[in-house]
This record gives sequence, C-alpha cells and structure tokens, in this order.
Amino acid sequence: MTPSPLLADLRSLTTAALPEVAALSDQGRTALRDLVSSGGKVSNAAMETHQFAAHALSWLATYVQALQQLDAWAGRLETAGQFSEIEALILQIGFGEYLAQIAGGIPMSQGETARLSDLGLSWAPGTAAQALIAGGNTAAARARLVALMRDNHGRATFGATGLDEELEMIRDQFRRYADEKVIPVAHDWHLKDELIPMQVIGELAEMGVFGLTIPEEFGGFGLSKASMVVVSEELSRGYIGVGSLGTRSEIAAELILCGGTPEQKAKWLPGLASGEILPTAVFTEPNTGSDLGSLRTRAVRTEDGWEITGNKTWITHAARTHVMTLLARTDPDTTDYRGLSMFLAEKTPGTDDAPFPTPGMTGGEIEVLGYRGMKEYELAFDGFKVGADNLLGGQPGQGFKQLMQTFESARIQTAARAIGVAQSALETGLQYAEDRKQFGKSLVEFPRVAGKLAMMAVEIMIARQLTYFSAWQKDHDKRCDLEAGMAKLLGARVAWAAADNALQIHGGNGFALEYRISRILCDARILNIFEGAAEIQAQVIARRLLD
Amino acid sequence: MKVLVPVKRVIDYNVKVRVKADGSGVDLANVKMSMNPFDEIAVEEAIRLKEKGLATEVVVVSIGVKQAQETLRNALAMGADRAILIEATADVHQDIEPLAVAKLLAAVVKEEGPGLVLCGKQAIDNDLNATGQMLAALLGWAQGTFVSEVALDGDAAKVTREVDGGLQQISVKLPAVLTVDLRLNEPRYASLPNIMKAKAKPLATKTPADYGVDVSPRLTVIKTAEPAGRKAGVKVGSVDELIAKLKDEAGVI
Repeated sequence: MTPSPLLADLRSLTTAALPEVAALSDQGRTALRDLVSSGGKVSNAAMETHQFAAHALSWLATYVQALQQLDAWAGRLETAGQFSEIEALILQIGFGEYLAQIAGGIPMSQGETARLSDLGLSWAPGTAAQALIAGGNTAAARARLVALMRDNHGRATFGATGLDEELEMIRDQFRRYADEKVIPVAHDWHLKDELIPMQVIGELAEMGVFGLTIPEEFGGFGLSKASMVVVSEELSRGYIGVGSLGTRSEIAAELILCGGTPEQKAKWLPGLASGEILPTAVFTEPNTGSDLGSLRTRAVRTEDGWEITGNKTWITHAARTHVMTLLARTDPDTTDYRGLSMFLAEKTPGTDDAPFPTPGMTGGEIEVLGYRGMKEYELAFDGFKVGADNLLGGQPGQGFKQLMQTFESARIQTAARAIGVAQSALETGLQYAEDRKQFGKSLVEFPRVAGKLAMMAVEIMIARQLTYFSAWQKDHDKRCDLEAGMAKLLGARVAWAAADNALQIHGGNGFALEYRISRILCDARILNIFEGAAEIQAQVIARRLLD
Repeated sequence: MKVLVPVKRVIDYNVKVRVKADGSGVDLANVKMSMNPFDEIAVEEAIRLKEKGLATEVVVVSIGVKQAQETLRNALAMGADRAILIEATADVHQDIEPLAVAKLLAAVVKEEGPGLVLCGKQAIDNDLNATGQMLAALLGWAQGTFVSEVALDGDAAKVTREVDGGLQQISVKLPAVLTVDLRLNEPRYASLPNIMKAKAKPLATKTPADYGVDVSPRLTVIKTAEPAGRKAGVKVGSVDELIAKLKDEAGVI
C-alpha cells in the first residue's frame, strides 16, 4: 500500500501556522499605514501612489482570513465527526499552497503578483508553516484528492460544507432544479442570446427565491443570508443568469428595508418577495463606474414629483422589469456623493418589440460576451417622471449612504455566484477529463490535468468557507463589509481560474462554442468586474484595514 | 380521508453503485442517500389529493435506519403533514425485507386508519416490487399496481395501470393500496418556506417492537456481483466470415 500523502498532525500544524501569518498581516498593516499616512491621517493620494503595497496587504489579509476560516471549518467538521480524508486533503493542500504563495507571491491576476516585499516585509516561516509548505500541496496529495473526487458518490460538493441539515436540504432542492430545468437549456439561451424564460422566473418565485431574506411581516420568508448563499451557489452552478435573477431583488429589498419609509416597505416589499415586481438596479453611467459619487444624472423637483434626465449604462434586466432603483443627483450644487438620492422609479415592463414603452426613457441593448439571460442595456432619461412618494426614505441626499448599506449583502451574494460558477467549471472539467481518452487513458490520469482539478476543488472550498463566514457575520448582525469584500475578491479569481483551467482540459473542444465550458468561461469573466472590480475591491479592503 | 405514504431511503439514483469487496451487498458507507424516486411520486400524488380537497391528511412513514429521518423531512418539506419513523435497524447495510415492512405498515394502517395507501411500485435499490402487494394481502384490501393515473370516485378509485403492451383501466374499491409508476406525476421541488415549516411538523419515532413485528431476515443473500463488463468486439474480414460467426459462434442464425 502506498503511504498516505496526509501529514501527521495536520490539524495541529494548520492551527499552529495561523498566528504567524496573522502577525504578518498585522505587520503589513503597520507598514502600509506608515507609507500612506501624513499627520496621523491616511492620505488618498498616498494610497494611490502606493497602490501595489496597499493591494498586497489586501490580498495578504484575504489569504489570512481565508486560512482562518478553512481551519475553523476543519475544526467544526472534526467536532461533528465529519472530517474525513477528502476534507483533510483539501485543508492540507489549501494551507500548503496558500502559505507558499504568501511567502513567494500571491497572484492578484495572471500578470500581477502581490509580494511581501511590496510592503517592505520578509517572512521566515516557522516550523509548522515550513512543514505545510514543504509537504502540503504535493503531487501525491493532489492525486489522492482527485481519486476521492472521482468517487464522490453523488454528493453535491467535494468535501462536506459544514452547513446544517436544513441548508443542505435547500441545496439539494435547488441543485435538482438546476440539473433538471436549467443545465439542459442554459447553453442554448446563451448561444441564442435569449432572455431567461418567464416560466423559470415563475418557478423560482414559487420556490421562494425572491422573498428569501425579506422579513415575514413584508411577505417574505425571513431566511438567513446563509440560505441565500446556498441558493445562489446552486442556481449559478446551473447558469449565472439564473443565479443572478435574485440579485436585483435582493438589492432593492435591502435598499427599502434599510432606507425606506414604512409606507414604501408596505408598498414594495410584498411584491418583490413574491416575484411579481421585478426590479432593476440603475446606478452606473457612461462616465461613472467605480467612481459612483461623481454621477451626473439629475433629478429635478416638480410640482407632483421628480423629473429624471441623464444617461445610464450596464443596466441588467432593464427591459422586462417593473421598477428601477435609480440613483440620481438631486442637489445640482454638489459634485460628490453628498447630493445623490435613490428613487424607486416605476416603469412598464417592455416586450421584445417595445423594450422601453414608458415615456421619458429609451434604451438599447449592449451585446456581451457572457452573463447573458437578462441582457444589458444603456438607458437614456429625458424628463422621466417619478412620483413624489418614490424618493427612497422621503429625504433627498441619502442615496449614496443607502446604497452603501446594501454592499455587504450584494458582495456576499456575488461571492456565492462565483462559487457556483467555479463549481460548474470543476464538474464540467472533471467529466470531460474522465470521458476523453488520449494515449490510451482518460485525461484525468495525467497529473497536470488532475492537478488542475484538485486545485479547483481546494480553492472552491476556501472561497466557500470565507463566503459562509461573511454570511454568518451578517446573520448575526456583525459588520462584515471587509469579509464580504474579501470573499468576493477571492471568489472571482477562483471562478476565473477554474473556468480557464477547465477549458484548458477540453483542449480545442473547449474553444468550440458548442461546448458548455466555452460559456462558463465567458460567464466567469464578469465576476472580476461587476459588484466592485478586483482593483477597486482591493483598494476598499486596504482602506478598511487601515481604519 | 387520510392518505398513508410509505417512503424508503435508498442509494441516490445519481450514485454509481459499487459492490462490497466480499460480495455481501452494495457498499453504502458514506454514500449519498435519497428518497426512493417512486415513493417521491407517491408523496406528490398524496399532496395533490389533499390540495384538491380529496384527502384530509398525508402521513408518511419510513422503516429502516435512524437517518431515514432526513428522507421523512424531505417528504414533509414537499407538503406531507406528519411522519412516522420506525427504527428497525442501526445498520445501514441491513435491508428490511418486504414482508416485515408490509407487516409493520399493516400495523400502522390499523392504528392510523387511512382510506388509501400510496406506495412506490418498487424501491430502486433491491427492485423487489413486493411490499405494496403484500400489504394489500395482509389487510385484505383491493390493490392497483403500476398506476399511471388516479381519479377518486366516491368509494372507489379509477386507476390506469401500465401493463405489458398498453394501459389497463380498472376501478378498485376503497380502502385500497395503490403502487405508483413513473408517469403518474412529476414531483415538485420543495419551496423554501415549506422546507422551513418541515422542521416544525411532527415526526414520531417507533420501533418494530411497538407493533409486535419481528423484522429478522428470512431471506439469505448468497452473492452480489457487478454486471459483467462489455467485452471487446472483433473485426471480420468478409460477409461470409460474419455469417459463419453468427451461425457457429453466436448461434443467432
């Protein structure tokens, strides 16, 4: 019998390595603060000058948080008697690889590496970290992990998630829905660039997707963010478009719950919960993406309400929806976030022939690589009328603050979407690697192919645990903007890597539109861009670490 | 009218079944288990009867290991009202035989007094297709097997049976045992609110002793083996050679 690739005392090694990297992250924080502070305050200009240092800290802190959550996951499984060989291998490879990257350089993207030297730091790993770096992510460990993955006995995830039975029952239902109603048809929707059929939206509404986290008093089901994560994961595994149908409802509901008047809550939330009201989020403008505070669309007070004038772009699902959560400038004397207000702007849902029938607004489709199914639009507003009751919260100037309050939820949900997309890439890659034979054997028998699949499974579990942690924080009313941002940042990189590597396993066939992996690659690409591009996300994390 | 639906926890239909090394059975250790798909169809039909106002209560019952609780929770999440778990063994590899299951179900029927028992036609693990029939015999009730359509009509059920070569329509007097086939309906997905509600629904735990039934095995499994793998084909040089081989080796012409 071949010796086990598992390290003896794995659990004590991982636990012992954590304080060391946490200290390293603290040193990084001090180093960055010294670099970018003047007069005891963080200077935005200096943060830009030292952007590589700042982002190196963001990635370092993200890795440390991710490893802490992976270790905590292993501990919980151990207590529950569920820590079996596959989970041990994921833990070991994850620690081995991430510690090695912390020491040698963390890939922020394919061509950019975050190094400790960017922060003026160096690290001599201690005994536990050394042992994990040397013996954690070995070829034998990866091979054994893939052997177990091939023998996964119909389970939804590679390795136990550590979630409770009820969440796993939710997972099973939505996984089955995706397997039966989404996966067989999604590729066709993508290739034909079609909207997801209303029937699917109706079925998801019946299953409770749109009212998931809305409190029961407003017609929702008052479920946890953790359940929202599981649902988003499984639906996105089917198709990112389907996993994203709930995103705008989640944002609109959060906006109204946090910032709406009692009347607005009573008016809008039940319809959002039942899926009868489909919302779209109208924030981005042609010249205003990440720098949202500078947006220029104006809202002018009239006798009976407001008139909106300006241009918006990258509006997902704009045509078929009933209401826009629309951010516009109500105070013309301002140029930053202070003069912005949020509107619940009602419109008539469009059809294929007349996508934007409401007077005062026109729109055109933006053709896109992936993330289809709801379609992207640019919109132009010219004296578009919004009722006086439709200013969120009833007070102008609150828009940016109101929107910020939704970021935690939106980022958690986006991280979950990334995990779902990554999981679909992994499953698609594994299936192809088993079916396709070259040189007389399945591709999966080749170490370079198996190694890709092993790393996908490991990184998906890491991103998953970081995301579950953010959701847990949110469910327990703890601030989690930092963790949610980290989960989104890491999840998006993991999804792109998984899609790219799974396509690589397909060889030429992966480059053919006919194969599903070609779509998964296109879908994965958006994750690093929307809901906070990777660079902005890293900047926000760094800024927050210095608070 | 109360409807009773027995559900069995079986190896998930997505799992590649593997025979234990000693040939004593199928390896079930650490394998994903689910509700027998035919039983899911029976649960769905019972819930639809209730939604149509034709049934007052749907009671699901499972016999086997403690973990069958999960299977029952699933049925509750679909919309069943109440569950009974009869813990008959602690060993996931012990299959409770149809006669023992039928005797236990007969005892449950006497206690619960349903007007209809809806079962899956067979469990996908052992494919025995026996429990429903045995239960009907023990109760002295009418039975309808391989049912693809059900319509309640006063004190009878009009059912369509899938038989060799076509469909047979019969009327069975209630109370009856119906065993359902694949085409009866498409089971629903449990919705989020119903999954939440399932937690609070009653689930009673019993043992075979509570019903005075002996579940010790009466059958012996001699051997379990994987189906033979496909053998490689041969290339023939000519039509004559092909005919000769079909005649002499395969013996088909």
